[in-house]
Amino acid sequence: MLEVQNLSIEYTTEDGVLKAVDDVSFNLDRGESLGIVGESGCGKTTVAKALLRLLPENGAISGGSVLFHGEDLVNKSPDEMRRIRHRKIALVSQSAMNSLNPVYSVGHQIREGILAHSDIGRQAANARCVEVFGMVGLEEKRLSSYPHQLSGGMKQRAIIAMALSLEPDIIVADEPTTALDVVVQGRILQRIRAIQKQISTSMIFITHDISVVSEICETIIVMYGGKIMEQADSASFFRAPYHPYSLGLQNAFPSITDTAGEELVSIPGTPPNLMQQQPGCRFRERCPFATDQCRSQTPPLVKVKSNHHAACWYTDQVDDFRTRARDRDTWEAVRTRIEQQEAPQQ
Amino acid sequence: MSEGPLIRVEKLTKYYPVRRRLRRLFDREQHYVRAVDDISLEIERGEILGLAGESGSGKTTTGEIIVRLQEATSGVIVLDGHPLEADTRADRKRFRREVQMIFQDPYETLNPRFNVFETIAEPLRIHGVRHKSEIARRVTECLEIAELKPAASYLHRFPHELSGGQRQRVAIARGIVLEPKVLIADEPVSMLDVSIRADILNLLKRLRRRMGLTMIYVSHDLATIKYLCDRIAVMYLGKIVEIGPADEVIAHPQHPYTRVLVSSVPVADPDYVREEVSVDDAPPDQINLPEGCRFTPRCPFAQSDCSGCDHRLLERRPKQFSACIYAESELKPRSIP
Repeated sequence: MLEVQNLSIEYTTEDGVLKAVDDVSFNLDRGESLGIVGESGCGKTTVAKALLRLLPENGAISGGSVLFHGEDLVNKSPDEMRRIRHRKIALVSQSAMNSLNPVYSVGHQIREGILAHSDIGRQAANARCVEVFGMVGLEEKRLSSYPHQLSGGMKQRAIIAMALSLEPDIIVADEPTTALDVVVQGRILQRIRAIQKQISTSMIFITHDISVVSEICETIIVMYGGKIMEQADSASFFRAPYHPYSLGLQNAFPSITDTAGEELVSIPGTPPNLMQQQPGCRFRERCPFATDQCRSQTPPLVKVKSNHHAACWYTDQVDDFRTRARDRDTWEAVRTRIEQQEAPQQ
Repeated sequence: MSEGPLIRVEKLTKYYPVRRRLRRLFDREQHYVRAVDDISLEIERGEILGLAGESGSGKTTTGEIIVRLQEATSGVIVLDGHPLEADTRADRKRFRREVQMIFQDPYETLNPRFNVFETIAEPLRIHGVRHKSEIARRVTECLEIAELKPAASYLHRFPHELSGGQRQRVAIARGIVLEPKVLIADEPVSMLDVSIRADILNLLKRLRRRMGLTMIYVSHDLATIKYLCDRIAVMYLGKIVEIGPADEVIAHPQHPYTRVLVSSVPVADPDYVREEVSVDDAPPDQINLPEGCRFTPRCPFAQSDCSGCDHRLLERRPKQFSACIYAESELKPRSIP
């Protein structure tokens, strides 16, 4: 249904051009739920915004296409895009719950959206509001509440209800639960999963929390420095990731299922500066297994097994990498390497 | 130094008066939000205690009262044998030296016009360290303990020139420069990227070993609490509902609320089988509290007896206390509306 091909996005800044997203491709089927994870600045939110053509003024799609039902969204006029947004592709953004208008009731705001983007009547729109509120688990009487009368979780659910109100083909959710409490987050994730099955909407779920992806997405994309590092069926990914970055993330992530005494190991270093375009793998600076080839040539995304791709030159050595990645010293060596490289500059 | 726990909190309460609305004009009764309501706990020397709970549970308020950013409505805090009541200005200053705090947002807690050196040197000056060489030595030492090495390359940087992780390290260096006995950390990693969270958590662990620090770690993230803390206290609407060894509380939660909390944590393991405990996620009313156990309106196991619960902590497993009137084995499906 959605085919993103070789998408590249650049931001023009005072200091030059920043390549935020570089050659990203993926497909999304009807009813599929895709999770895009990565650290801040990896380009995940930029991808989401680009799909809806909501990039800020200094951002532009510099290459590639976004085919939605076979039509390229990159070349659509602003008017055409307006007809697609919300109605066909809806966005639930990071701080969406703060974007509700404080002087209108939430029901009013949802109804406005329905009336503006479709040709159904006022009564049908009201009925639809009640229906979507039911789906997200909010009582009908809450439609007449104003944003300040609702808790964070309720506001976020109202926003999700708004996104659902026109039965979009795709919902793009950018960190929809990050600001919420664990219990509320758990409940909202459960609901999203149920609704998605019920109405077979596709979803792109953007988050920095890989455990959330494991809970609700069938497919995962791991981004780093504007590129896809690994792309896989989530069950396959979480059982055995291939890319060294994913292996590092696995070590860095605390879980309530960890046995006592296990030590977390972070990935030393910081994400690359995307202003400086250099050949090679984006992760090479922080990768314990990087070689000269990684510095000179950018690894393509290769298939490692069915529904599992990784952008690493050495996917054949993954067994060895996995063993070494579990060892703290492997990553400490990277830290030393980075410190030595930085030292002469000072 | 005296024997016994380093911090003892007894019957601590914090009530916030609620502003009267017009329609309550003739309502004589003053209403309160009982943010912290009669909690008692002890923290041993060198221990890391996790305070867990949702927003509004009182965990941050408790932390802030212990550092005295807020005054308690009633209750006693005893630090190292000294009760902190009716104290003089000098006492308070001494206390501030011994109890320090690290906040959630490293982007907002550092003064943008102070460079790293000034940020860390300020508490030293306030507490009467005058010698320039002494200040420089302590600042450098603390930066190195916080793993900002070589310290000299960071001294003249401003907050905007640092990454999130580096800023949090600067905040930690500032927190430890007075060699406090207690460090209170309120969600110190929740704003940081996953790949560097582990570094900060490991740093906190090392601080405990190296400086013998006692810590209170306030967070809603059970996974980081489990990693860092020896014990965990779970709070709900101002009450401690469960307290015990962190691993045990997470593996065998005794209070229904803790069970709900544990079952809500997302886990990055497709083979993980979770206990599904469903709960109403409507936010609890903080003013009109139910009689008895405060979790009753949402509890999947509530019975009519729950209105008689007084939140007394009962030892249900070794060193693990729950405020539920039922043992885990006695829980039955909810029977009240």
